[in-house]
Amino acid sequence: MPKVKVPRKSTAIDMTAMCDVAFLLLTFFILTTKFRPQEVAQIDIPSSTAQIPIPDKDILMLQISPDGKVFFGLDDQNTRLKLLTRLEEGYSMKFTDDQKNAFRLTELWGMDVRDLPKYLSLDNNARAAYIHPGLKVDTTGGDPQLENLILWARQENNNLRIAIKADKTTEYKAFDQVIEALQNRKVNRFNLITSARSAKE
Amino acid sequence: MAEMNVPDSGAKKGKKKVRSKKASTRVDLTAMVDLGFLLITFFMLATTFNKPKTMEIVKPAKDDKVKDEEVPAIKMSKTVSLLLGNNDKVYWYVSPDEVTAETNMELDSVDYSSKGLRAVIQRRIKEVHEQWTDTTNLFVMIKPLPGSKYKNIVDVLDEMTINDVKTYAILKPDDPVDSLVCVKVGQSRK
Repeated sequence: MPKVKVPRKSTAIDMTAMCDVAFLLLTFFILTTKFRPQEVAQIDIPSSTAQIPIPDKDILMLQISPDGKVFFGLDDQNTRLKLLTRLEEGYSMKFTDDQKNAFRLTELWGMDVRDLPKYLSLDNNARAAYIHPGLKVDTTGGDPQLENLILWARQENNNLRIAIKADKTTEYKAFDQVIEALQNRKVNRFNLITSARSAKE
Repeated sequence: MAEMNVPDSGAKKGKKKVRSKKASTRVDLTAMVDLGFLLITFFMLATTFNKPKTMEIVKPAKDDKVKDEEVPAIKMSKTVSLLLGNNDKVYWYVSPDEVTAETNMELDSVDYSSKGLRAVIQRRIKEVHEQWTDTTNLFVMIKPLPGSKYKNIVDVLDEMTINDVKTYAILKPDDPVDSLVCVKVGQSRK
């Protein structure tokens, strides 16, 4: 019997289609991606059945870490600069252009407003490693910093929506302080940020 | 080989057209695919894909001009009070409309599961419907104690949405009954 010869096929495959797919997906991800902002504090948000997605812009984010520190974040860089100008006036400080630029790029911060110049003159790496002590929430000495920040930010951007992002284990007390500050500035409508879940649980 | 254009078949040698070697147009794309997938992996991991949702809260405006007397009173039998304590416990009670000698109050603690808090709310909705009219809304008074966690208040607000309770309020636990409950369960009120 003659041997049946199996024809040898080349192992080289046509990669063109695969390459097309890969780059198509790549394009999709590049276009849809929105990088995670640097995190000042680890915050694990609770889940709820709420279905409203957060708006893309005009957000004033107040984050509350598990130990009750409050952080302040504005999404729009122009509003950040305008807010800094207001801070200069309100707390009679003077910022250099470098400091202003640093503030423009700061997504989230939390410290006594008077410590800002020191923080903003640090270099990039030092700023990333800086441990934020949290905003000054108590109003001792007639200096309601959180309320001022909220008021000035809203005056600079009228469409600003206020979002509160707090950790699951944040105590209600800390959350209440923030709400109190908001209500003192006549903000009665705000958003709590949660992740989605089903109602079954 | 390349005789096609040569009219004179005799002159094979010498005047042969020099043809550049046709290189294959096929490029090995393996490396490019590798690179593509590497970048895809990076972007997939770096992206925040599922956007967090928000829960909107509207608090009543703080207005000093409104006097206490102008605030309409509500029959306590249309309400349920939820005290959010620590360790993920909810203490709930229904205040009596009027305190008489026979007044007996029920105080119970439940958890935030569907068998706990949700059952209580659904039961109260039914009870209010039976006691009053079918269109009477249950009024839920949410009173977070300082020891409760942020997750607890989100859970309770979420139960309001799930059970379609439209009338609820977040209040301070400053009712006398609240102090009594706090003392009983050993939690601080302030």
